[in-house]
Amino acid sequence: MTQVDAPTEARGLECRDLQITLVGAHGPVDILKGVDLSVRAGEFVSILGTSGAGKTTLLRVLAGLQKAAGGTAEFAGKPIQGPPPGVVTVFQDYSHSLLPWRTVRRNVALGIEGKVSTAQRDSQVDEALAMVGLGGSANEYPYRLSGGMQQRVQIARALAMKPSVLLMDEPFGALDAMTKQSLQDQLQQVQALTGMTVVFVTHDVEEAVYLSDRVLVLTGRPAKFGHLIDVRLERPRNQISTKEQPEYLALRHRVYEALGLGDGEHG
Amino acid sequence: MSVDVAVETPQVAGRRTTRRPASSGRSGTPVRGLLLIVAALVVWQLAGSADSAYFPVPSEWAKAVQPLFANHVLVPALGATALSFFLGLGLATVIGGVLGTLVGSSRRVDRALSPTLEFMRAMPASALVPVLALILGYTLQMKLAVVVIPTTWPILLACRSARRGMSPLMLEVPRTLGLSRGASIRKVLIPAMLPAVLLGVRVAGPLALIVTLLVEIVTRINGLGSLLAAAQVAYLSAQVYGLLVIAGALGLAVNWAVTRAEGAVARRMSGGA
Amino acid sequence: MAERLLHRVNPLGIATFVGFLLLWELGVRSGAVGSTYLPPPSRVLVGLKEISASGELWTNLQHTLVSALTGWVGAAVVGVALGMALGLFRPLWTYSMASIEVVRALPIVAFVPVAVLLLGFTSKMEIAIAFIAALWPIVLNTFAGVRAIGPRTVEVGRVLRLSRRDQIWKLRLPAATSHIIVGLRLGLTLALVLTLVSEMVGNPAGLGFALIQKGQALQPEQMFAYLVVVGACGIALNAVLLTAARLAFPGQMAAAGDDA
Repeated sequence: MTQVDAPTEARGLECRDLQITLVGAHGPVDILKGVDLSVRAGEFVSILGTSGAGKTTLLRVLAGLQKAAGGTAEFAGKPIQGPPPGVVTVFQDYSHSLLPWRTVRRNVALGIEGKVSTAQRDSQVDEALAMVGLGGSANEYPYRLSGGMQQRVQIARALAMKPSVLLMDEPFGALDAMTKQSLQDQLQQVQALTGMTVVFVTHDVEEAVYLSDRVLVLTGRPAKFGHLIDVRLERPRNQISTKEQPEYLALRHRVYEALGLGDGEHG
Repeated sequence: MSVDVAVETPQVAGRRTTRRPASSGRSGTPVRGLLLIVAALVVWQLAGSADSAYFPVPSEWAKAVQPLFANHVLVPALGATALSFFLGLGLATVIGGVLGTLVGSSRRVDRALSPTLEFMRAMPASALVPVLALILGYTLQMKLAVVVIPTTWPILLACRSARRGMSPLMLEVPRTLGLSRGASIRKVLIPAMLPAVLLGVRVAGPLALIVTLLVEIVTRINGLGSLLAAAQVAYLSAQVYGLLVIAGALGLAVNWAVTRAEGAVARRMSGGA
Repeated sequence: MAERLLHRVNPLGIATFVGFLLLWELGVRSGAVGSTYLPPPSRVLVGLKEISASGELWTNLQHTLVSALTGWVGAAVVGVALGMALGLFRPLWTYSMASIEVVRALPIVAFVPVAVLLLGFTSKMEIAIAFIAALWPIVLNTFAGVRAIGPRTVEVGRVLRLSRRDQIWKLRLPAATSHIIVGLRLGLTLALVLTLVSEMVGNPAGLGFALIQKGQALQPEQMFAYLVVVGACGIALNAVLLTAARLAFPGQMAAAGDDA
């Protein structure tokens, strides 16, 4: 919680005593209260919680799409008031996030066209597509691609903007298990390559432990971060060998317990 | 797409009532929007003159229509229009419903009849008027035929696509329960088709009114349309505007009625959802 | 491949259609179907040849098409602009939508006598009618199209930090395209049909007047020929518009699915 020593450029996302209130059918409801968050530059952080816990809402506040009712949310020392520069969000529903009337290439270019020269734009698009392995599909329309490929296009679109922070809202939630694993590994590689910060929202415990440096567990109603669990597994991680390590299993267990889903045995 | 444009208007002298997303539905349109039309009328009233040849002020309109009312011309004309409207719409609903369901129930029949139906759909109501007038004469049957033919299409199309989309199980279940064919049609098919029929009526209703007026204007068969045409020929501009307002009122009434009817059935069918 | 072609051409359908024509032909010849004024298809073809050879078909066709298309183009320009303005500027919508709905409820055909009164028996009158007829579907469909943009797409525009101008130009407009095209198609149909009405009631020229004229002159073959031409016109114009739209906006039209 004390990042005051870190230089401004390295300061990432910070929330202090954040409160989010939504107006429901029976009046205003506090979704999150007293939330403190601190994400260091280059970190891969997962925000984990059961469905409806408020993790998506928290991400939307960080993305600048929603206002907090109380407390502060800052990026690089400046309060978040609308989508901050250098922060890009990737949504779960890829089919609605891509523009169906644009080819893959033009979809990826959406965020940077007009902001950089044409040559620069083309090279950034090509780079981003290469990072997600979609170089060959550049001229297809999204509806011709599989779900996993469409989500990769969305990620490529974010990467093309060369963000310092990538916010991801359950990006692999709508995909089948095998595609999910493949994309998880691609994401790891991309993050290792670019060194960007990733805030990853999910309800999948395995995914959270596998991908992150830290797992932040949201619990309670209204929710706050009940547990902050460091994941000190070696990188690069592997779907088979990493998941067999006792360290991984122990972490997994701790996270389940933090969620209140444990078997109650290991106190 | 949130706007349902699946029920395409046939090629007739009609108006397309688009289905807009629920958020901007009729119930949500602010009444303040009427200010525009009220303001326009007020400006006209103040800026115009009573005896302008082409643009008499609104206060003159009612006065100009009054003699028609007093001479017992207006009400019978409205009655004639209403009769054609209801009769025509009713017939079109039955014919469209039955044909649409039939066509929708079999892929083969659908494919076989498609080009023929499309061809017939391409004939606008206005073009049918002189043709049918020649064949059937200037009679009530002709008027009815002209109204029924184009009005059938929206209902036919809606029923056809509803029937096509219906699960085949729906008709099998009552049979397995031992219901006769007639009973399963009465108790299952017809109620299941009702929303589609109403969806078609939603578009067909205003259409029926338009075509009725169309026939009356072109052929001068008795009705509101013939009064309009007569007023125009006699250069009674105030009367023309007055009758136009009446026609507009009828149009609004029809729109309102079909929307309510559709809403009522929709609520019943989806259990109030 | 052959199967798909077969599917598109629909031989069963065409055969049925031809079958009906044959029935019609035989019915009239054998005297089973009674009217002197219901000519068999063969005679309709003769009528078609006659009006084509004499040139009157082309004169009338041109007259009607010019009026209808001119009015339609005007309605397209005004309608799309108005529909977009209504969709993008909430205050405009609030203070005018109800009025638009009231005017829209007026049966369009009732405007024809008004137009004849004000503009007389002229082409201007026809164009005015075509304009009004086409205006409403275009405005309403454009409006719906501008509003039809998904909320997620709007958010994408925000997280990618698109300028306000870019959000309208790159997101709202393309999302609205398929709706606008539907509106344009409906408008075109109505413009054509109402132009016919105005020719029957007002301006003695064009296809509408020809239909009336042939009817009164008791020439059913030529009248039916004109009827067929009118139908074919509508179909052809629609097909041309749809094809043009698909060529101009391949992405949007493909995304909207088969628009027919």
